[in-house]
Amino acid sequence: MRDVLRFEWVRLRTIRSTWWLIGSGLLLNTAVAMLLALATRHEPLDARIVSDVVTAGGASFPLPLLAVFLAVIGIFATGHDYRYHTIQPTLAAIPQRARLLVGKVIVVGGVAVLVTAGSVVLNIAAGLVWWDRFPDLTSPPLGEVLPGYLLLSLLWSVVGTALGQLFRGVPAPLVAILVVPLVVEQLVLRLSFVPSLDWLAPAVKFLPFTAGQQLISYAGEASGGDATEVHMLARWPSATVLAAFAAAALAAALALFRHRDA
Amino acid sequence: MITATALDKRYGHRTAVDHLTFEVRPGMVTGFLGPNGAGKSTTMRLMLELDHGGGQTLFDGRLFGTIRHPMREIGAVLEARAFHPTRSARSHLRMLAAGSGIPYARADEVLEFVGLAGVAGKQPRSFSLGMAQRLGLAQALLGDPGTLILDEPANGLDPHGIHWLRDTLRSLAAEGRTVFVSSHLLSEMELMVDRLVVIGRGWLIYYGDVAGFVREFTRPTVVVRSPQAAKLASLLGTEVLDDGSLRIPGADAAEVGEAAFREGVVLHELTTETASLEAAFMTATGGAEEFVGMTA
Repeated sequence: MRDVLRFEWVRLRTIRSTWWLIGSGLLLNTAVAMLLALATRHEPLDARIVSDVVTAGGASFPLPLLAVFLAVIGIFATGHDYRYHTIQPTLAAIPQRARLLVGKVIVVGGVAVLVTAGSVVLNIAAGLVWWDRFPDLTSPPLGEVLPGYLLLSLLWSVVGTALGQLFRGVPAPLVAILVVPLVVEQLVLRLSFVPSLDWLAPAVKFLPFTAGQQLISYAGEASGGDATEVHMLARWPSATVLAAFAAAALAAALALFRHRDA
Repeated sequence: MITATALDKRYGHRTAVDHLTFEVRPGMVTGFLGPNGAGKSTTMRLMLELDHGGGQTLFDGRLFGTIRHPMREIGAVLEARAFHPTRSARSHLRMLAAGSGIPYARADEVLEFVGLAGVAGKQPRSFSLGMAQRLGLAQALLGDPGTLILDEPANGLDPHGIHWLRDTLRSLAAEGRTVFVSSHLLSEMELMVDRLVVIGRGWLIYYGDVAGFVREFTRPTVVVRSPQAAKLASLLGTEVLDDGSLRIPGADAAEVGEAAFREGVVLHELTTETASLEAAFMTATGGAEEFVGMTA
C-alpha cells in the first residue's frame, strides 16, 4: 500500500488543478470568513460568530464551500484517468484495483482534512483582524463543530473520488456533485415546507448532503431552514447518513472498477 | 516468455478475440499483425488484464495481476497519448516510478535514452505524436523490464525515429528480453521481427517465423532471361514479357535450369523472387478485414 500512496501523492501534487482548487477554495473560504467577521464586528464575540467565521457560513449554506473544491479534487483523482487515458499506465504500475482506489481515497481524504485544518487557521486569522481576543474553540458546541467540519470535508472528498470512478470521467460527476445538493435536495427540502407536501419532511433527514450540513450546524440551522421543522437528526446521527452515502458510493465504485474493462 | 492461452473476448454477440493461443519467446522480437478491428489491441488489453475475458496470459509463469511491481518486469504501452497534458514528462514518469518502487533518477535516464531529455520538464500537451510515442517507450522502459508489449509504437515516428525504434527493439531483444510489438508498417515489421502472430476477426491465422508466413501465404516466382526466350517460353508453357523476361509463379529454379540445360537453351538470369511480408499479409488476411473501403 505504501507504493500506492506514494504514487497517488505524486499524481496529486504534479498537476496544476490540485493547487488551483486548493488555492481557490482557501481564498473563497477566507473571503467569506472575513466578510462575516466584518459584518459582526460590532457584536460581542460569541461562539456563534466564531463558528460561522471558522466554517465560512456553517450550515446556513446548502453546501460547504471548501468541501466542494475538495470533492472536485476527488473527482479529478479518478475521473482524469479516463479523461486522459492514464488508466492504462496506472494499472500497468498498480494492477490491484481495490488497492489503487483505496489509496486514492486515503490520499485525497488526507489532503482534504489537512486543507480544511489550514482553512480553519486562515479563517481564524481573518477573524482576528476585527476580534480583540483569540476565541475559545473548545466551548460547546464549537468543540463539536470543528471536528465535524474536518469530517464533512473528508466525506465530500470521498464522495467525489467515488463519483469520478463510478462515472469514469469528469463532467458527469461534476454535475452530480453540484446538482444533487443544490437542486435535488433543496427542492425536496423546500417542498417539504408546503403543507400539502409535508409528507416529504420525514425524508429530508436522509438527504445525504443536507444531513451532512448538520456536522457544521451551530444551533439547528439546516441548509437555510430550521432543522427542527424538518425533523433533522442530531449532528452525529446526521453524519452517519452522509457517511453511509459515501460508503455506498465507494462500494459501488469499487465493485464496478473491479469488474469493468479499464 | 509470454504464454497466452485461449484468450477470448466477446461484446454481446460479437466476438472480438476468439480463443487465441500463442507464445512470445525471449531473445527475439515478435510482431503482432492483423487488419483494423482484428482484435490486436483487445488481445493486448486482455494480456495485461485491462479487459476482462476468457483465457489467461502468463508472464514467466505468473499472471499480470499477481506481480507485485509489474512495471519492473513488463513494460507496456497501448496508447500513445496516455498522459495528463499538464503534468511534465518527468513528473509522469516519476509518478509511475513512485508506484513501482523505482528510483526517481530512472525517469531522467529513460528520457535521455528516448531523446526527450530536452523537454523533460515541459508539459506534454504540445508533444507531437512522435514525441508522445517516445514518452510511451520511456514509460515502458522505466522499470528496465524483461518483457515489452507495445501497440503500434512506430505510429507518428519520422524515418529516423522508426530506424531508431527498430534498432532499439532489436538490441533489447538481443539482450534476452521478450518483445511483443504490433504495427501496421509491414515493411518495417519485415525488418524488425523474428516471429509473427497474425490474427483476423479475432482468430489466429498464423503463428511462427516470418519466412514461414511468407512461404505459407505466397508462391515464389522464378525469373528467367535468355537470348532464346521464345524457345524457353514454349518449353515452360509461359509467355515472354515486354522486358524480355519470363516469370513462372510457383516454379522451382533448379527445375527450370535443368530443363533449359536439357534443351540447350542459354540462360542469362535465373532467380527466385520471394514475395514480401505485405503480399503474404494481404493474402492471409484478405477475408478477415473488418472494415473495407471502396476503390476509386
